[in-house]
Amino acid sequence: MSDEAYKIGVYVCECGPNIADAVDIDRVIEVISTHPDVAVVKRHRLLCSVDGKDFLKQDIIDEGLTHVVVAACSPKDHEATFAGVCEEAGLNPYLYQLINIREQCAWMIKDKEAATDKTISYIRSGISRVFYHVPLEQKEIDSIPDVIVIGGGIAGIEAALSLASPVRKVHLVEKTDSLGGTAVELSGLLAHQGTNADIIHEKIRTARQNENIEIHLESEVTKSIGFFGNFEIEIKKGGDEIIELNVGAIIIATGFSMFNPAEDDRWGYGKIDNVFTALEIEKKAVTGEITLADGSAPKSAALVHCVGRDEVGYCSGICCNYLIRIAGNLKEKYPDIKINHLYRDLCVPNKNDQSYIENLREKGVEFNRTNDVTIAKGNGGIDVTYTAESGEKESLAVDMAILAPAMKPGVDTQTISKMLDITLDKTGFFEEEHLCLGPVGTAVDGVFIVGCAHGPKNIPDSIVQSHAASGSILSRLIPGRKLLPEIKVSEVLEVLCTGCQTCVTVCSYGAASFDEDKGVSVINEAICRGCGNCVGSCPSGAVRSKHFTTRQLHQEVIEAIINPALNE
Amino acid sequence: MNSDILVIGAGIAGLQASLLLVEADRKVYLVDRTSMIGGNAIKFEEVFPNMECSTCMLAPKQQDILQNENIELLTLSTVESIEGQLGDFTAKVKVKTGYVSAIECIGCGACYEPCPVSVKNGFEENLADRKAIFVPCPGALPNIPVIDTENCVRFTKGEDCTLCQEACMFEAIDFTQEDKELSLKVGAVIVATGFDEYDVNDAEDLAYGEIDCVYTAMEFERLFASNGPTLGELTMRNGETPNKIAIVHCVGRDKVGYCSGICCMYSIKFARYIKHKIHDAEIFHFYTDLCIPGKLNEDFYRNTIDESISFINCENVKITKNGNGANVAYSLTGKSESLSVDMVILVPAITARSDSAALAETLGIECDSMGFFASKTDMLAPVVTSREGIYVAGCAEGPKDIAACVTQAGAAVGKALSETATDSVQTE
Repeated sequence: MSDEAYKIGVYVCECGPNIADAVDIDRVIEVISTHPDVAVVKRHRLLCSVDGKDFLKQDIIDEGLTHVVVAACSPKDHEATFAGVCEEAGLNPYLYQLINIREQCAWMIKDKEAATDKTISYIRSGISRVFYHVPLEQKEIDSIPDVIVIGGGIAGIEAALSLASPVRKVHLVEKTDSLGGTAVELSGLLAHQGTNADIIHEKIRTARQNENIEIHLESEVTKSIGFFGNFEIEIKKGGDEIIELNVGAIIIATGFSMFNPAEDDRWGYGKIDNVFTALEIEKKAVTGEITLADGSAPKSAALVHCVGRDEVGYCSGICCNYLIRIAGNLKEKYPDIKINHLYRDLCVPNKNDQSYIENLREKGVEFNRTNDVTIAKGNGGIDVTYTAESGEKESLAVDMAILAPAMKPGVDTQTISKMLDITLDKTGFFEEEHLCLGPVGTAVDGVFIVGCAHGPKNIPDSIVQSHAASGSILSRLIPGRKLLPEIKVSEVLEVLCTGCQTCVTVCSYGAASFDEDKGVSVINEAICRGCGNCVGSCPSGAVRSKHFTTRQLHQEVIEAIINPALNE
Repeated sequence: MNSDILVIGAGIAGLQASLLLVEADRKVYLVDRTSMIGGNAIKFEEVFPNMECSTCMLAPKQQDILQNENIELLTLSTVESIEGQLGDFTAKVKVKTGYVSAIECIGCGACYEPCPVSVKNGFEENLADRKAIFVPCPGALPNIPVIDTENCVRFTKGEDCTLCQEACMFEAIDFTQEDKELSLKVGAVIVATGFDEYDVNDAEDLAYGEIDCVYTAMEFERLFASNGPTLGELTMRNGETPNKIAIVHCVGRDKVGYCSGICCMYSIKFARYIKHKIHDAEIFHFYTDLCIPGKLNEDFYRNTIDESISFINCENVKITKNGNGANVAYSLTGKSESLSVDMVILVPAITARSDSAALAETLGIECDSMGFFASKTDMLAPVVTSREGIYVAGCAEGPKDIAACVTQAGAAVGKALSETATDSVQTE
């Protein structure tokens, strides 16, 4: 195995008494020095200290080392530290390996001899592995700072406004003939929610006047190929015109649809007069008055929460908030109106909701907890029957019923998810990159989901998500700055590839694709995150990880299995 | 236009904001008043809705923070004043010394054992003790102990105790170190100082502090934590393992006047915690409204409940002593009921920090009527405060879950970057 061109240096850190007291470093050095591939073995009191790092750097230079093994603490602590030292010494940092002989040997094996045996074994493994390391370089790719926003509702408009600038153009693509989405249909009835139709109209005006925002109405994105920093987009306008453009990031702000209460007779929607959805009430308020179908003022109303909640399997989170405000507005308009809320649980986490409810109760608005509501035609009106908490069946005679239907995914989610190669979660909304840490990202870097496209939420939360997506783009997609893709990516050895496309199937990031002409798979290094799924699943062994090659791993493991004591 | 950013608070929102800012090549000063980063999220063993290990989730973020050259982390630090305006702030930061050098110390922990002073450990919700030289918990980062001058006898009694210094083989302990006052020039500020909880001592009829089987939610988190005072075993103060457990939601809700929105979710998480360790436990949730909005959260609830877990919608919960355990009395549709249990977990409202009014004054920003830092919601800009150039993110703005904290952090970064952009910095 010996090769003149290789000069491997092994450095054992004492970590003060942490390793020095638990491991017989003299014996380690004695044994490792006999290794045919090792040129130099040295020890140091504390390699991560200033003089430790200086020592390591100078020694790499003086000894003319080609590979370095450091036996010390956890890679989590100092892998990056010593990689930096290698770089400063002019050695490619991928020609180095850090072996953990502290947490994995000194700190867990009480018997000094056993700890020393394991240390020797680990170091020998590290040497075997590093022997097969090759230098890896950081690549750079050009990036386009422009962004495309799919969906011209409030979330999309906000995203566009927060991103557009003289050095960053935003394309705002809307499939209907006007901006505003669902929010613009809200009359201002819900002023307390922090939204007001005027504000939304103002934002639409500002977006239209912004010369760095190009608005494409009656348009849809039909194709997208590429990766963060460079997506090739095709837009179809008005059914025939095709526009091609390049952007660095994509924001999906395609909104939501509503559960249709007509799906079940128990709500009487579409069958009984004066059964409305909340959105219909909003629209009535825009034109002026909330009245019954015959134009008269309602004297009583049942506000029904949770319509469709069982069908969709989640709480939409905004309906309690808007229903109480509809109640407040009705009470203001018709002070004597009798209002009953029928709800399962009051979901009111917004800061001012609770006091608003208390206020409503003081005005005589009633809140009835129930799991089970049926709406039927009654004598001259509507009969709402429900099972009260006591278990008794109760009934209300009302002039109108206002339903709060569940929010559902938008109608285009399936199409868009296929086109952009992003996933939907089990509810049918777009799936975020990570539930806690990546709420607006997706598995495809550079594709963001904001607003109700991500999941049911109110307008302020949609806007924060738009700003969060902007924040990510503003920090990572900087005009003129090159992108630095992952270094430890996977690659395909074409000669071994049989074209089975298993790697294409298992790749969660869309980095693997099939080259029809060559009949082999190709991995896009700009997208690949180096997760290794493709490596593990390739039946031919054609896919390999650049820094976790089969050979490197085999040699490391084989060496670990051999008992070091036998080799002395 | 100064493009450096000050982030106040190194909890999940502050960490996330800092990491995004350095991606844009900004210099970040990350200030935290404690000796460690991770805020409150680091105290939880697992987080909803996917029951991911919290420390595992946060560890890479913490590592990145500690290793990034563009982040200057200032622990044991507080902001004393902020003068100036957007693009040109001067922040005076008091950096208290911990008397341990970060360069020499390798975190071996040899200094703890000889310390003669033992006090209650606030991080462990007083369920365990610590020494006057300490890290708040195993695995705390930075892994550099600090000396608590309120308890170390050198400071409280003027004694020349050098036991920790003598035990240190790296000469990392230096009693001559002094507090510093730094004057930081920054372009913008992100406030991410987190939250407090309603003080359950104020709750009538819940017997906290009177009956030793009554715990707060945070105490219970630390009991379940694998690096906590019982190493994750659900052993109570009396040494017993509970079998019947009551979880009382909405504690303090009426007093504070709002629903905190996240507690039902983590109460369900608690049920999972308990079943994980005590398979045949019976769990009783006492609640007013089940607040579980969000596309996956009802699933989380449905996949947790089984015959051994009851959700009782009730009012007027009263806890009294009953032998070694407790009696939970409640009213259900007008009728009085009661139940005896071995353990009670109180789930309190999320409140603004007790020092938020003072901090608001220091920062020159407004608080809302609940004490949280007010955002300008009339302009639909939840992360923008009343002072230009100062943004708020996370629970400092109001109760919210981790995903929402992270989202707000991203939004605050977006605002900070675009409002402090210069030609040379190449953002807008």
